[in-house]
Amino acid sequence: MKELFPAKHVMGFIFSLVLTGVALSVYFFDMSFFMGMTILLVTAFAQAALQLVLFMHAGESEDKNTIYTSVYYGIIIAVITVLGTMLAMIWGYV
Amino acid sequence: MLKMNNNNTQPLEYSTEQGRMNILGFWIFIGAEIMLFGTLFASYFTLETRTGSGPAGAEIFELPPVLAETLLLLTSSFIIGLGIHAMRLGRKKAMMTFFIITLILGAAFLGFEIYEFIHYVHEGASLQTSAFTSILLTTLGTHGLHVTFGLAWGIVILIQVIKRGLTPQTANKSFIFSLYWHFLDVVWIFIFSFIYLKGMM
Amino acid sequence: MDFFERFLIPHPSPIIYASMAAIVLTTIAIIVGLTYFKKWGYLWREWLTTVDHKKIGIMYLISALLMLFRGGVDAIMMRAQTSMPENTLLDAQHYNEIFSTHGVVMIFFMAMGFIIALMNFVIPLQIGARDVAYPRLNAVSFWLYFMGAMLFNLSFVIGGSPSSGWTSYFPLAGSELSPSVGTNYYMLALQISGLGTLMTGINFIVTILKMRAPGMTLMKMPMFTWSGLITNIIIVFAFPVLTVALAMGTMDRLFGTNFFTTTDGGMDMLWANLFWVWGHPEVYILILPAFGIYSEVISTFAKRNLYGYNSMVASMVVISLLSFVVWVHHFFTMGQGAMVNSIFSITTMAIAIPTGIKIFNWLLTLWKGKIVFTVPMLYSLAFIPIFTIGGVTGVMLGMSAADYQYHNTMFLVAHFHLVIIPGVVFAMLAGLTYWWPKMFGFMLNERIGKWAFSFISIGTCVAFFPMFISGLDGQARRMYTYSESTGFGIWNMISFIGAIGLAIGFILIVYNIYYSTRYASRDVGDDPWDARSLEWATHNPVPEYNFAITPHVNSSQALWDSKKNGHTLFRDGLKEIHMPNNSGVPFVMSVFFFIFGFSFIFSMWITVIASLIGIFACMLHRSFENDHGHHISVEEIKRTESEVRGAKNE
Repeated sequence: MKELFPAKHVMGFIFSLVLTGVALSVYFFDMSFFMGMTILLVTAFAQAALQLVLFMHAGESEDKNTIYTSVYYGIIIAVITVLGTMLAMIWGYV
Repeated sequence: MLKMNNNNTQPLEYSTEQGRMNILGFWIFIGAEIMLFGTLFASYFTLETRTGSGPAGAEIFELPPVLAETLLLLTSSFIIGLGIHAMRLGRKKAMMTFFIITLILGAAFLGFEIYEFIHYVHEGASLQTSAFTSILLTTLGTHGLHVTFGLAWGIVILIQVIKRGLTPQTANKSFIFSLYWHFLDVVWIFIFSFIYLKGMM
Repeated sequence: MDFFERFLIPHPSPIIYASMAAIVLTTIAIIVGLTYFKKWGYLWREWLTTVDHKKIGIMYLISALLMLFRGGVDAIMMRAQTSMPENTLLDAQHYNEIFSTHGVVMIFFMAMGFIIALMNFVIPLQIGARDVAYPRLNAVSFWLYFMGAMLFNLSFVIGGSPSSGWTSYFPLAGSELSPSVGTNYYMLALQISGLGTLMTGINFIVTILKMRAPGMTLMKMPMFTWSGLITNIIIVFAFPVLTVALAMGTMDRLFGTNFFTTTDGGMDMLWANLFWVWGHPEVYILILPAFGIYSEVISTFAKRNLYGYNSMVASMVVISLLSFVVWVHHFFTMGQGAMVNSIFSITTMAIAIPTGIKIFNWLLTLWKGKIVFTVPMLYSLAFIPIFTIGGVTGVMLGMSAADYQYHNTMFLVAHFHLVIIPGVVFAMLAGLTYWWPKMFGFMLNERIGKWAFSFISIGTCVAFFPMFISGLDGQARRMYTYSESTGFGIWNMISFIGAIGLAIGFILIVYNIYYSTRYASRDVGDDPWDARSLEWATHNPVPEYNFAITPHVNSSQALWDSKKNGHTLFRDGLKEIHMPNNSGVPFVMSVFFFIFGFSFIFSMWITVIASLIGIFACMLHRSFENDHGHHISVEEIKRTESEVRGAKNE
């Protein structure tokens, strides 16, 4: 039975629950928008990295460079799209 | 490139060249999915404050169902990870049990999401109410449709594992399905953080 | 009868009725012809169910050529209408429909179809592979593209064409200002063919990364394969944006959502934003394969290695990233502040640097080369100056402060046609002529080809240079007519004459295909151009399995090395070859997609649901199917090899 629950996976799960708890603090405590967004950004990307490396085994195959490139490329372009859209439609719109 | 052919130390899902290509192809598809949800988030942030005569996020979001959905999906992602681990140990029964639990958790998640949607409509936040509600329900709905598709896909794979056992093909399909499921969890983390928590902050 | 009223054309005209009759007659002719010559089985076995990348490439090619003529007829009608002031050949509505369909057909169904046709045919051959990574998915891609194109063209005779431009800006494209189903066609047809393109993207990335011949490292790939890799990366990350934008547009029109409306918080500018987040990378999706073709053609006919291989690759990688950070330059005048416009001005101008590097590399490849003036080479040589003029006017448009003067004028129209025609169309014609013997086993006639080239290159300049002048004088694009006092008449008349020149050029190409099919020699050998890369190392026409023996590669000019430097391409003996099986499922599934799209356009929800069930049934069938392909025995390979025309042994 024990071999079905590897310690790495269990620790990862506990860590992801902890990250969720930390993210929830922005709801329960009064803080500035900047502070809250920082917490959310850090916890969300940490969660994503955790899933990617631990559960999705992104680094295990011969194609890991391609896999990481594809994911990073997607994230970079997606972030640029979000920020650029905000810039053009809201922040920089007069 | 071809040096890993018939390498017995590799897990079953990597044992054929086509299998390795399928896994790589699916990762690239995940790259495209990142961009799909990135576009939805870009639109969401743009339209977030444009509530017209309808409610704002803070007025309709409720923490309990959202938290329940988050925990369900996080747990299901953990469980399917265990399923793949069991598959690599060659323990078909355990693997199937974990997969079934995953799908049940997924179905429960969908149940909560449907409740949530009904609640929004009752609060006067339907798809047509305002730009904000349109993009909110579309973003959540896109993720929900992915989960629904995942449930059907998971069942199809389970049937194949039952009928054919753990072959290179079924192992490959199961592994790819687990990638999809983990990815949906990642997307939900972002929805949870930047739609719900940011909205209720 | 109420049910059928929705299918009527809101603005009928004799042209449309004539087209209806023509479509019906052509369809009947095809059905009768297929039945009379008993070709239904052949069509089904050899084409509709094929998963062979070469046949799929040829089907893409035929579709793209058909779409070229559809879009070309639109173009001629537009130029004819504006050739004289106060012309009444077309009314405003028809003019709107024609410029909208011209843009959509040319970009999505002609240019995209053409580049994917050449990528399909050439890339697996260039890397020494037997097929693509997912042959079945490749067939799905093609049939989705094909059904999308057919669906879009159907709008002309059923329900009315879209009329809000190829960019379909809201609120004009919203249900209030565009109440006909035309824009629904736009949304659904592009959605369906876009899905196909996304799958192509994934398919080719995996093919190029995983299926190269032994010895071919990334930096030893031929340049067209490199450009294909980068293009497909851009496709994978750009097309999801279009998917989302089109879905939101469809929901606005059919389900009353408020994304791009002008009430309840909707934001029409968001459509323009999302459209161009996809739209600018799309420009590079079209141009990079063209750059790859020019690299192949120029180095083949200058008889030199491509100059600056590494910088060519590096500039494409840089372009792939920069192409995603410039999109705002398509709407500088929409009201962003000076800061935003300046940022995107700078990124836009930065993209001219890697492009400039490529131009210099081609020039330096030509330098001291022994240039052979074949038709593909002529297109490549004409491309360099014309494209540079088009590109430099792009940098002018990219300066946001000055753009207020050029925006939405004929100056812009001149700019992008002078980029896209030499950039994409010339490249496709060069590639078509260059790879034609590999596809069909005979060469296109050079003399007719050179006449066609002259008409097309001169026609392009005559048609589009006058627009710079009338544009700077203030002629807005998309205006169906203008008054005599504007003085635009003369420039538009010159444009019209150029357009006729272009039309003659394309007719000559069709005549060339007919003439060469009838009279050209079938004895052209495997390598008629004395070329450099692997696709010329196999037979003409290519056998089903591409290479009887997988080649070994030591440079990006593997064939050249084997011809001149004593490199041995084929070292191993013949082995049994594993090939994928044909399948009718991709075709059937795409027919369901067609029905889905058509029903969605007309809000016929029962058939929408029925066709969705059909689509899922096809996916289910695929999932449960146990298809391991088939094997071609050594005897069979030997037999095929000895039967192939012009066969030669290593």
